Amino acid sequence: MSVLDQLLVFAFMTGAVASFIGDRRFAGTLLAILYFGQFLLLVKLAPLGYGAQPVVSAWQPALFGEVLVWRMDALGWYFALITVVAGWLVTWYASGEWGQGYRERGGNLGLMHTAVAANVVAMLLLLSSGNLLSLFVGWELVSWAGFLLMVMNGRESGGVSGPAGLRYITYATLGAMALLAALAIAHHASGSFEYIDLIDAVDQMTGPTRVSLVIAFALAFTIKMGLLPFHLWQAPAYAYSPGPGGAFLGAISSRVGLWGLAMVFGSLIGIGRIAGIELIPGWFDLRDVFMWVAALTIVLPTFTALRQNDARLLLAWHGIGQGGYMLLGLAAGDALGTGGGLMHVLNHASYQAPLFLAVFAVMHRTGTSDLNRLGGLVARMPLTFLVMLIGIIGLAGLPPMNGFVSKYLVYISLLRQGEPLLFILAVIGTLGTVLSVFKLLHNTFLGQLRVEHMEVREAPWSMLIPMLLMASVVVVTGTAPGLVLDWVASAQAALGLPVLDHTLGGAAGLDMLWVSGVLVYGFAVGTLLFLSGNKSRRVHQFDNYAGGHFLTAENQYQYSDQFYAGLMHHIGGWYRASFTWAESVVIASVDAMSAAANGFFRRTQAVFLLLLATLGSVAWLLWGVGS
Amino acid sequence: MNDFPLPVRAERSNPLARVFDELIDFCRARSMFMLHYCTGCGAIELPPAMTSRFDMERLGIQPMVTPRQADILLITGYVSIKTLKRVILTYEQMGSPKYVIGICSCTVNGGMYWQSYATAKKLNEYLPVDVYIAGCMPRPEAVIEGLRKLMGEIKAGRANSWERYFREYDRYLAAQQNLFGPNWQTPTDIIGEARDYQLYGPGTEGRHTELLQQHQVPLQPLRMTLHSDVEKSS
Repeated sequence: MSVLDQLLVFAFMTGAVASFIGDRRFAGTLLAILYFGQFLLLVKLAPLGYGAQPVVSAWQPALFGEVLVWRMDALGWYFALITVVAGWLVTWYASGEWGQGYRERGGNLGLMHTAVAANVVAMLLLLSSGNLLSLFVGWELVSWAGFLLMVMNGRESGGVSGPAGLRYITYATLGAMALLAALAIAHHASGSFEYIDLIDAVDQMTGPTRVSLVIAFALAFTIKMGLLPFHLWQAPAYAYSPGPGGAFLGAISSRVGLWGLAMVFGSLIGIGRIAGIELIPGWFDLRDVFMWVAALTIVLPTFTALRQNDARLLLAWHGIGQGGYMLLGLAAGDALGTGGGLMHVLNHASYQAPLFLAVFAVMHRTGTSDLNRLGGLVARMPLTFLVMLIGIIGLAGLPPMNGFVSKYLVYISLLRQGEPLLFILAVIGTLGTVLSVFKLLHNTFLGQLRVEHMEVREAPWSMLIPMLLMASVVVVTGTAPGLVLDWVASAQAALGLPVLDHTLGGAAGLDMLWVSGVLVYGFAVGTLLFLSGNKSRRVHQFDNYAGGHFLTAENQYQYSDQFYAGLMHHIGGWYRASFTWAESVVIASVDAMSAAANGFFRRTQAVFLLLLATLGSVAWLLWGVGS
Repeated sequence: MNDFPLPVRAERSNPLARVFDELIDFCRARSMFMLHYCTGCGAIELPPAMTSRFDMERLGIQPMVTPRQADILLITGYVSIKTLKRVILTYEQMGSPKYVIGICSCTVNGGMYWQSYATAKKLNEYLPVDVYIAGCMPRPEAVIEGLRKLMGEIKAGRANSWERYFREYDRYLAAQQNLFGPNWQTPTDIIGEARDYQLYGPGTEGRHTELLQQHQVPLQPLRMTLHSDVEKSS
């Protein structure tokens, strides 16, 4: 029994424990310990992150003559580490007061623990899949485990989570069908489900087969990632999941799509071959499509996030936008870009999870995540504020947090490859992120404390410690990104991508040890100046300037509604429900197709439809012969 | 121009202190943030004074958006009773040293609103005013001239009338209560600040501050805390 087997068995055991005793009072603590056990087993697998050979599972069941292979390589280990740590910390978060509160509000705590554990198991199975068949099994498990977590919060979300989850599973089924199609194409071309055979077979494929394969894989994985134009399901589905579950989903769940794309871009098909598929010869190829989709995925969802008034939705929309950075880096294809893209997965998880948890801590204490009904909580929840502050600096991609490092690598890669427009889009996305995360922080914690929140207390330690641990990851890996870049370089090597040349302080001329050092010294100088100056006087929050207005408890000074009124005056007109419209177009065309099929089978316009189908097939075949 | 005598700066025994005082006064005179409280028509002369033609920034004077960071409170035009309450609130929120400039005849003596029942006539009855710039309206040259005069006074160490508000608070409060009624109050604790600046004098407290303290609700600052039961806020 290899360590991988132990890990999978341990994860199954955690799930079993969660499903049997998940609703007991001590269950959260026990589960957190079990997750920590999984984490220790992953630490035992740590040589994978430093270039060791993949670990193969002894458990290889056969199914109709095909073998399901489980094998964990450096890439899988990297993602698995993020998954298990996220699962561990969110379960810890739910183990104390939050879990009791959830149960008192009528939530099924046992089911939530089970769902999180099921997600972790499913993702571990997927990430350690060793051939296409086990990949498909893992993929379906991840989809359904995510669905379970999304739809279980119906009562607390006011009935919103159910439809959101159904929408997700519709999209996910489409993705699974696409993956099945990709498997069929791959099996047809190579005669087996092994990765190695597929890699060999890709060279012999005709153009259309290869395009079909890329499109089928890409469809499956981009839907899970929530890339444009398949992003509409993600924000409500994640935002209305039960607190820790939502944090887990937002942190890592949709990144398995990126994991899949990394396999496709890296080992299975290769970014070079994808770049060889020219749509407009000499000017625009399939790789450019991925890069532009990624860049638009950065910009549009980020500015949608800017408009949200619910903190959870705001964060969930950012999760979609941050996926764009990862894909943009990955599609850039060089050592810097893929390194930045893969590193962004860990970075994103490390700040998105504590941000979600901080929002849920505020909800736990105040009962709302409506950004127009909060404010001034820094005086009552200073540690939660600290967590959110670190998180949003990371999310905005500013030094000295880790989000800066990965975004920097992606930027440099784009500049070196001569992609100024994509670079500008990425920077615009960052600008939108800065604006909207400031809105999040300001409307929740800054400004004036409301009368009804005067007696609010800081979140309990059972919630604070996991949040602070995650926030410390943001700071530590921001100061010493080389810790993560070691694993990223091993993942790149496992994928057959160019390997990032890096130091402890960073790569591409960036040394975060210096940057963080300078910032710390700057703060130290500022602190000395502050301490050496005159004594400051604290004043009451109503002793504040509001254009000369007298402030009272009934009439406070707090901007929150229409936070960026001036900006919205300029760009507000660009927000149209165009994607909702596009979705309805897809639905209408599916309707039309089914009507056509109906007509075909009932022979109402049989000859005409047969003619159309024949023409289409002939055109496809001719293209295949021609290339 | 003031009804009250100017306070005199105490002699310093340390000869170096004088050097530092002069240096500080020089720096103060050369970098001033101005909060303009534009109440009436005189405001129209400020944009040319601030922008490229007359350019008050070459003198080191810039607009500022909050009173906490501002040095000059510049009041243009007539001050109605309702406005005056806001002006006093704003003035009290400024950190010392602070200077007040009244622009236009209305701030000097009510101007064309002399017979109005709703307008405060003399601004310096309610606040210590450093410089008046008369005229209806004064041209930008006159505004700049007034600012230069204030700069000269600061540099010479004579622009100390803000200290008077702390030393003679009872008399200013008397005028304010006379106009606004006995229930008048602002959130700022002037007497505490007078002690803080070591400007507490025999005129700081009196009959009128007693009246104020009878109904004033003290506002405790909001402290950062992990457990709110440590402090029951007002």
